[in-house]
Amino acid sequence: MKRLTVLFVMMALIITACSNNNNSNDDKGSASETGKNNTATETKDGNDSGDSKSSGKMTDVGTPRSETLIVDILGGRSPDPDRYNPYVPGAVAMDAGVHQLMFSNLWEIDTQKGTQIPDLAATFPEALDGTNTKFSFKVQEGLTWSDGQPFTAHDVEFTAKMITDSKELGYNGYFTNLIKSMKATDDYTIEVETVNPETRLAQKLGVVIWGNTFRVMPKHIWEKEDPATFKFSNPIGVGPYKLKDRDPQGNWFLWEKREDWQKSDIGKLVGEPGPKYILFKFFGPEEKRIIAMIQHDMDILQDITPESWDVLRQKNEYAQAWYKDFPYATMDDPCERGMSFNTAKEPYDNPDVRWALALMTDIKNVSMATFGGMLRVSPIQLPPIKVLQDNYHKPMLGWLKDFALEDGYKPFDESYAEGIVDMLKQQGVEGLPTDSNAIKDTFGVGWWKFDPAEAAKLLEKNGFKKDGDKWLMPDGKPWTMTINAPANFEVQSMRLAFAVADSWRKQGIDVNVQQMEGASFWDSESTGAFQIGSYWPACGLLPDTTANMTGWHQKYIVPIGEQAPGNRNRWANDRVSTLLDELDALPSDDPKVIQNITEINKEFVKGMPFIPMFGTSKFVPVDTYYWDGFQTSENAFEGPWWWWSQFKFYTPHLKSTGR
Amino acid sequence: MGFYKFLLSRVISFVLVVFIGITTVFFVPRFMPSDPVEAMIGKMTANQAFMEPEAIITLRETLNESFGLEGSIWDQYVGFVKRVIVTQDFGPSLASYPNPVNELIAKALPWTMGLLLVSTIIAWLIGNVVGLLAGFLKDKSYSKAMEAVSIMIYPIPYYILALVLIMLLSYIYPIFPLSATFQGEGFSWEHIKSVVYNSILPALSMILVGTGWWVISMKTLSSGIAEEDYVQFARLKGLSERKIMTKYVLPNAALPQVTMLALQIGTIFNGALITEILFGYPGIGTLIYTGILQADYNLIMGTITLSIIAVAMATFIVDFLYPFIDPRVRYK
Repeated sequence: MKRLTVLFVMMALIITACSNNNNSNDDKGSASETGKNNTATETKDGNDSGDSKSSGKMTDVGTPRSETLIVDILGGRSPDPDRYNPYVPGAVAMDAGVHQLMFSNLWEIDTQKGTQIPDLAATFPEALDGTNTKFSFKVQEGLTWSDGQPFTAHDVEFTAKMITDSKELGYNGYFTNLIKSMKATDDYTIEVETVNPETRLAQKLGVVIWGNTFRVMPKHIWEKEDPATFKFSNPIGVGPYKLKDRDPQGNWFLWEKREDWQKSDIGKLVGEPGPKYILFKFFGPEEKRIIAMIQHDMDILQDITPESWDVLRQKNEYAQAWYKDFPYATMDDPCERGMSFNTAKEPYDNPDVRWALALMTDIKNVSMATFGGMLRVSPIQLPPIKVLQDNYHKPMLGWLKDFALEDGYKPFDESYAEGIVDMLKQQGVEGLPTDSNAIKDTFGVGWWKFDPAEAAKLLEKNGFKKDGDKWLMPDGKPWTMTINAPANFEVQSMRLAFAVADSWRKQGIDVNVQQMEGASFWDSESTGAFQIGSYWPACGLLPDTTANMTGWHQKYIVPIGEQAPGNRNRWANDRVSTLLDELDALPSDDPKVIQNITEINKEFVKGMPFIPMFGTSKFVPVDTYYWDGFQTSENAFEGPWWWWSQFKFYTPHLKSTGR
Repeated sequence: MGFYKFLLSRVISFVLVVFIGITTVFFVPRFMPSDPVEAMIGKMTANQAFMEPEAIITLRETLNESFGLEGSIWDQYVGFVKRVIVTQDFGPSLASYPNPVNELIAKALPWTMGLLLVSTIIAWLIGNVVGLLAGFLKDKSYSKAMEAVSIMIYPIPYYILALVLIMLLSYIYPIFPLSATFQGEGFSWEHIKSVVYNSILPALSMILVGTGWWVISMKTLSSGIAEEDYVQFARLKGLSERKIMTKYVLPNAALPQVTMLALQIGTIFNGALITEILFGYPGIGTLIYTGILQADYNLIMGTITLSIIAVAMATFIVDFLYPFIDPRVRYK
């Protein structure tokens, strides 16, 4: 299937690229009416300008195109477009606008600043005593559900009670272990009692990355229903949009701005959303999604390949990525990619072997082979996004430069960014940063040296031998390894696996890349049925990344064959576990949090259970033909996280171009 | 007596095929290196990257219980066979939990049937007419041209052909929609018109590919039959070429084609995976694909069991009807 997909994309790109049909310039490609006036395609009017007459154009769901923002659906078709009960696992496609536009969270996140911000909650939890088990917070006043009923603290109380009382709900166990009670003491005040002392309640009940599972439901509707079976087919929320129509097949969802948008969370906190309608639509495979944007039938695309972006920017002059020039993609996605070791399997239980593989990685060529050099390196266990670079990568530079292996060898190479810029220049890439700081900000603070000789030393010290060009294991057998990689998803990790395999093969290891579909891929990681995997066990967005690191505690290690609740690399480190225990007791804003996490990162560098390589680069372009005001690196009011619940916060910035 | 014996043997073989088929369908997914609960948790944690290990443990327990994945494989198998035989219930889809698999299949089946039945029959009719002409009137230039076109189209991989059609008819000449958007509901004129309009491109792609195969097979059959002694004799008797073609060659050449058509109609229940994905068309193929990707045991079992029963039934019906079509065949 993977080959088929690659073939689809390649064919599409070749044909698209070869075509003289430049829609962005003359609109010819999307020109014809199809006998009905309800298509979203452009009308051929003979006007060579992109500013062709388009007033009166309708989308294929019957809304004026000039008032409709069309957004790609990351997860594709929804299996059940009539189900909006978010507590029954499985069927609700949250990323079809459901959590972006309608549902709201207690606390959201500002990814540019790396801070949580109030959404439905008006304040952050305040501890009521010294036990860290009793808290109070306020909810916003003056908000209503989209059916006009007031939103109050009683809705929050009801939702919490409903989850903890209904064993059939997927998150029942989680909430029961977290929340003892949640009471509305008046219409706008909530008191929470937790099961155990909590120092990060807002992170657990609010958004840290993507969204949160605690979604407040309207008491006046849900109290009459059985939450385990209720479909919530006519959903309402406190968000600024309401569901107007949906495709019975699950390919599109039409959202309409609430007439009383002032009483929505966004209306109160940010302002009036721009688009009257937002259509979330799934066009199909990548090549069709690209064509849709070339034809101005799609305003926001989610997660495409660099090759597709190349075609898109050539064929649609209104298409815009995060950066105006190279590297185009945003690099601030909160998870980083690399090679993950199963440290319960020989020889990957040996840190020297893991370090040898890091030093055998020709990282510049790996970057070029993976995403054409459009990647930012990371030498530590935290994604190299701006907030975390400022808090960890840059402050740790001195330690990284001084860090030495047992034999005194210092592996850090600070010159990576300059090196990759030179390499890109030689390839004719233009628009590269020139300032030294800008170069580092773009491509990373540095990585490990490509030093096969030092790698050989480490291996030979542990009984490995070289036989001609090939490495032999200590038992004399050829060194063969398999890297697990995603098959039809997470394209960066998939490509990274092949690029790293190529680098290691050149050093004399027989490397096989095993591509796996989603279910097998995750199951293998969880049960430890892997040697090395192109996984991404290093995420974070807030300076306090405790929540994302908790899983590395050694108490979560289980034998191979059993499903691991955390620590899927099965890496035991006493100091990391102790530091995590300490972090658990510290409030998020305690200065010692950063210190502890820095120390944890040092342990990861020493032990290398995961070789962090690159932050995630996302190509999530927009078309500015019908809509403008999108966030970019030059207008960075937020990151381009179209599939996150914070999308609704972007909508007041979006303005119609009048076309 | 011969008929009843024949019927009994065919019924027994039908039941055996179905039973072995559904048993295989039950066990094979469970031997795959994947687990639907883990797939769901993996998806959740990959999206959110924020779920504590304790939460994952409890979530796993809840999901196992909800999905009915507790108990030994044998217990699950017995329960599955009972459910399928007694209530024809495949349980909830795990990827689209808690939607019942039966409901998902019932929703998808009319789309698949509509598209595939129509395109298969059209391809069969066109292919056999063209193949008959190409085989019987092989010296005519139009026969050669039709045959050449068919031979050229047939080897093109389906996905390439479909993609070229999309490029040509949705992008360069945007006559048809890039993705299906169905208007209206039920049997309203608006809905029917919309379904037809949105189905033309996927159907065309299937007809083009399907026709090639029928042309080639019919041409081979009819050209061989055209050389038979009884056909030569008919010529010598002075019968018109048209009559020879329609009364002597066609009935004999059509027999294996009818058999193949019946079997192909049986495979319609497999859906058209690539067509459905490429054209955004709802159907059984998409369900099977989702089931495999998400290790959705119940969905895999439901869709494949349907396919097994359909193919076995088609074979059974063909066996049963053959003596009526071909008088040389007897119930023995």
